[in-house]
Parts: sequence; structure tokens; C-alpha cells
Amino acid sequence: MKTSLLKLDTRTKKRNAAEARFKAYGLTAIIIAMLALLILLTSVLGNGLSSFRQTFITLNVELVEDKLDKSGVRDLEVMSKVTTISYAPLLRDALIAELDERGIENPLSNRDLGDMISKEAAATVRNRVLANLDLVGQTITFDVLASGRIDAFFKGDVTMESAVLDSNTSPEALTIAQQLADVGVIETKFNWNFFVWPDASVQRPEAAGLGVAILGSLYMMIVVLVLALPIGVASSIYLEEFAPKNRWTDLIEVNISNLAAVPSIVYGILGLAIFINFMEFNQSSPLVGGLVLTLMTLPTIIISTRAALKSVPPSIRDAALGVGASKMQSVFHHVLPLAAPGILTGTIIGLAQALGETAPLLLIGMVAFVREYPAAYTPEAGLFGEASTALPVQVFNWTQRSDPAFVERASGAIITLLVFLLIMNAVAIYLRRRFERRW
Amino acid sequence: MEDMYHADRAMSTQQDTKISAKGVQVYYADNHAIKDVNVEIADKTVTAFIGPSGCGKSTFLRCLNRMNDTIDTCRVEGDILLDGEDIYDPKVDPVQLRAKVGMVFQKPNPFPKSIYDNVAYGPKIHGLARNKAELDEIVEKSLRKAALWNEAKDRLNAPGTGLSGGQQQRLCIARAIATAPEVLLMDEPCSALDPIATAQVEELIDELRQSFSVVIVTHSMQQAARVSQKTAFFHLGNLVEYDDTDKIFTNPEDSRTESYISGRIG
Repeated sequence: MKTSLLKLDTRTKKRNAAEARFKAYGLTAIIIAMLALLILLTSVLGNGLSSFRQTFITLNVELVEDKLDKSGVRDLEVMSKVTTISYAPLLRDALIAELDERGIENPLSNRDLGDMISKEAAATVRNRVLANLDLVGQTITFDVLASGRIDAFFKGDVTMESAVLDSNTSPEALTIAQQLADVGVIETKFNWNFFVWPDASVQRPEAAGLGVAILGSLYMMIVVLVLALPIGVASSIYLEEFAPKNRWTDLIEVNISNLAAVPSIVYGILGLAIFINFMEFNQSSPLVGGLVLTLMTLPTIIISTRAALKSVPPSIRDAALGVGASKMQSVFHHVLPLAAPGILTGTIIGLAQALGETAPLLLIGMVAFVREYPAAYTPEAGLFGEASTALPVQVFNWTQRSDPAFVERASGAIITLLVFLLIMNAVAIYLRRRFERRW
Repeated sequence: MEDMYHADRAMSTQQDTKISAKGVQVYYADNHAIKDVNVEIADKTVTAFIGPSGCGKSTFLRCLNRMNDTIDTCRVEGDILLDGEDIYDPKVDPVQLRAKVGMVFQKPNPFPKSIYDNVAYGPKIHGLARNKAELDEIVEKSLRKAALWNEAKDRLNAPGTGLSGGQQQRLCIARAIATAPEVLLMDEPCSALDPIATAQVEELIDELRQSFSVVIVTHSMQQAARVSQKTAFFHLGNLVEYDDTDKIFTNPEDSRTESYISGRIG
């Protein structure tokens, strides 16, 4: 029987249908993934972008000598005894004066009016005064934080309706805030301090920042890079190029692959047992965090380095050996430079993974609330030994707090973390392009 | 007994013996790849190894500079003497040996570096040049010997991988002779080249004979006939026949050689 090329037979039809189905599955999977990413990004950006802006009140504060320095000796030690409690009324009085001057009606009690200013503001003013005692007695213009509720009002998270039910603010306060904003006394602007300030207590979300978390993460990444890169690359080179292929190296290989799949919290327990309980390093310190993350990152680096070394064509090794290079010369002069882009990419991917890791850090105590920059973050003390926190842990911490202002902060921290990860991946791609050699 | 006969033939030639292999056996794990090979390779001569695929000619070639050491399962027995010294003696460092016995591979494999660096690499690691001027001289001399100087002199800093296939192979030859070896091993050096590049490389091999002992493995019997003075025919791991090239191609002793040459096996 003669068949026509123009007519598809059943077999071909079936095959074509199977192919079409497979393509459809793939496309669906990609669309679902893109949608999920889109939803994630919109939700995080929608919640978190506002955390980079903050509401400030501009106040002309009279620094009354009677309140701040009764004795009038301008002695730092004496004035240090005056707590923020004495500063808060000065700020409130400045606000009242501002309202009077602008002719804004004020139905609020003094206490409620004071609550419009962040509790952090008094501390800010106090620090400025203690830094320059000559300010006492003068009237100085300060840009102080508005309270979290006022801030949220200008970001649209608090409304007149929700304020009725809110014990921390009232519609009257919001009306005053709106009027002050109209005349430019209250202003919402970019908040660089979000990246500088340390964490703040539950009562003052407006003052919470990522400073300590970013530093802690940075120090941990330094520890990981300094330890994991040389150890990982050296062991990969040994295993790949020098080690005899026998049962023992097979066993090591299998175990490295297994280690890469070990849940990260297990590394946390290991770190707790070894570095804190046995070696007695400070808990919550970037040193311990970095060591734990190093253990976690090593398998990733080893596996990717070995893959990179394997992908160097054997003809290059032959060529080097052929002209009388030793094994080590052939590896370091020829194989390693060719594998470098792969090794660097693997390392940065490993670092990025470590940067976002939370679980092991919880177990070594990095979940601690760090209100102050650790004392050791000064040149004379060790950098890595003091209690600190890390970016992902800060996210974890803030999401646990009940004040809705922390939701915004947590999303802001997530955005910051994602930006760091994006930068690291971009560097990985750049290095790969830059150093890749073709032959 | 047959092997004895071939050994006698080789001894009877007038030239000095450079490499002498006695009772060489090579095993890959349990696979007996080379069976009791005896051969005397003369100095300043081109010796061709021919034979069908898998006959062991490349394996035997790689024994001559211990490139087989890199294969874990490979085991070599018997004696291979270079100027009367056993190259498999435990005191011999393969790195030193390979500086004396250079190798050119089947596929051109220049380093992904400049032409200059490709040639200069060997002299550098062996400390053959005391200064930059000497190194420049070695590079130029090697490239001239490899008939690549005229094409490459204006772009010594261009990557070696950017050359054409034939040029790349001549660059590899230049790289191999830059370390001033005494023996040059070539593993099918023309199999990845077009006929014109092949002709150039063959011409080059003939010139190299003035300075080195050249051993070349080839699939092409015409090539063996064109470039070599002595030819060894391998079959299934045995050295079947080893004699002057003219004799092998016109009047082979062994019936297997005759079959292979006339295209009946292989």
C-alpha cells in the first residue's frame, strides 16, 4: 500500500500530540512560577517600600536649663543623670508652641499630644545635647521621628476609621497631624537611618533599623568567604586532581553530597555543640554564625568547584604534562584559571545561600534582640566576637511582633536582603562572563 | 621467536639506538593491551607506528614518556631504555623524562593563552632561559623550526586558540620542541587537519628529523610511507613487523602486514 506524505499516519499524529502536550506542561509550569514570583514581589514591595520612608516632625525645641542642668555646671557626668523622661516634656512643649503659632486647634490632652512624637525622639535630642553641652539654654531646630501611628497615617495604613478603635492614637491626633503636614512641619521623607539604626523595642517601631543586622551579616559573610573558599577549593582540587580513585575517596564523595542535603538546622545544632558549648565562643556572635554557615556552605562550594574542574578538557592537562609540567603546575597554571569562573560562581551562590539562612542562626542565639551596636564594633576590640544579629533573623524577629508597623519593617528588611542577593548573583554572572575563556 | 628476529633487524641498522623497549607489557586493569613488544628506535629517524584502531600503537607511544602514569588502572611491565637508562626506574621523575621526550597530541591543544606564552611555557618551567631575551630567542627559534614564525611573528600576543587548526598543531609542535627534547612523540598529529595543513606538518616532521628522533602514530599508511624511515606494524597488541619503511610497504615478511597494507584487514 502506498502512503501519501500529505496525510499524517496515526503514529505521527500520536507523536506530535505527545510533543504538544509536553510543551504545554512546560509552559504552564513556567507561567505558574512567574505568577508566584510576581505575587511575591508585589506583596513584598507593596508592604515594604514604605519602610524606606519615614515621617519626621520639625520642632524648635527650647533646651531649658532648669530641666536639663539645674546646677548649671555643664558637667557631662552630672547631665548624664538626666534621663530621656526629662527631655520628653520639652519636645511636647515645642509641639504645643508650634500649634499655637500656626493657630491649629488642639483638643488633645498633653499626654496624647506627646504620644504623637516617637519615644525615640527624646533620646535623639538627649544624645545631641550630651554631645554638645553648649546647646543647653538655646532653642534648636530638631527633625524628630513622629510616632509609629502618625507615620502609618501618612503611609495610608492608619485611617480616621481605624483610629477610632485604636488606643494608641485618635482621629483628633490625625487631624492635627494632617494640618501640620499641610504647613510643612510634618514631612515624610527618605529614611537612610533604616539602614543605620539598630533594632528598637516593640513600643517604637519607627526607630527600628537594619544597621546591626547588615553589619552582622557582613561579618558572617567575611568569615564564610575567608574560611569556606580556600578550604573548599583546596579540598576539591585535591579530590579531583590528586586523590587516588578508590573506596575511600568514593566514600568521601558520597558523604560530601549527603552533607549538601543535610537540613541547615542540623548545622545549627552542630555549631551550638562545638563552637559554643565545647569551644566556648560567645553565643550570638558573627564568628560562630560565620563558622556554622561555613560548614553549611562548604559542600556547595566543593561540589561546584569539582564540577568546574571536571569541565576543563583533559587535553589541557595532557598538554601541560606533555611539556614536562608537574601535576601541580598543570593544575595551578592551566586547569585552575580555566575553572575559575565556575568556582567563583559556585562560591557566590554558596555565599548567597548562607546570607539568607535563618534556621542555624536561631540555634546559636543570633535571634537575640540587639538594641545597641555591639561594643566590639570598634577598631580596638575584636570585630567578630560580640552578640549581633543578621538580616534574615531580623526579618524573623520583626514578623513575630504584633505592631503592624513591624510588618512594614520586615518587608523592608526582606527587600534589602533580596537586593543584596541580586547584587551577589549579578556579580556571579559578571565574573562568569568576564573570565570565561573559549577554545 | 619472531620478536627476536625483529629485534635483530633493528640492531642491524647503522644508526644509534635512542629508545630501546624490551618485553613491554601493558595492562589496563585486566585488559592486556600491549603484548611483549620489543623495539629499537633509532636516533634522528622518523619511526611510524601503524595498525588498525585499538591495536595498542597509541598506548605504546604513551609508554615512551610515561603519559600512561596518569591513568590509574594502567600497568606497564618490561624495560624501556632511553639512552640506556630505564625510564620506569623508581628514581626517574616523569616530569624530567617528559622534558626530554616531548609529545604532540591528536587534537591540537594549545593553552588558551597567547602564542608567545604557549611556546614559552615549557622553557619557563624548566628554567631554560635566564632572561627575557633568551626566552624570546627560544620562542623565535621554536616557531621558526615549526614553520610558524612568518605567520605568527606579528601576533605573538594573540591567543593561540585563535589560529587555524593546522597552525594550532604547528604551535603545539613548537611548544613541544621549545623544551629542547631529544625525542618527539606524535600521536596522530594530522588526523584533525585538512590535506594542506597535513602536508605542511609532514614537511615539518621531515625537517625535525635533523634534530630529533621522531616517533609518529598514524592511521594513514600513505603518511607513514611519506614521512618515515622505519615502520612498525601493530596488531591486537602485538608488534607484528618492524623494518625499514620501504621494505614494509613493498615486501612485508608477515602475511598480516601484507593484508593490512593492501586493505584487507583494519
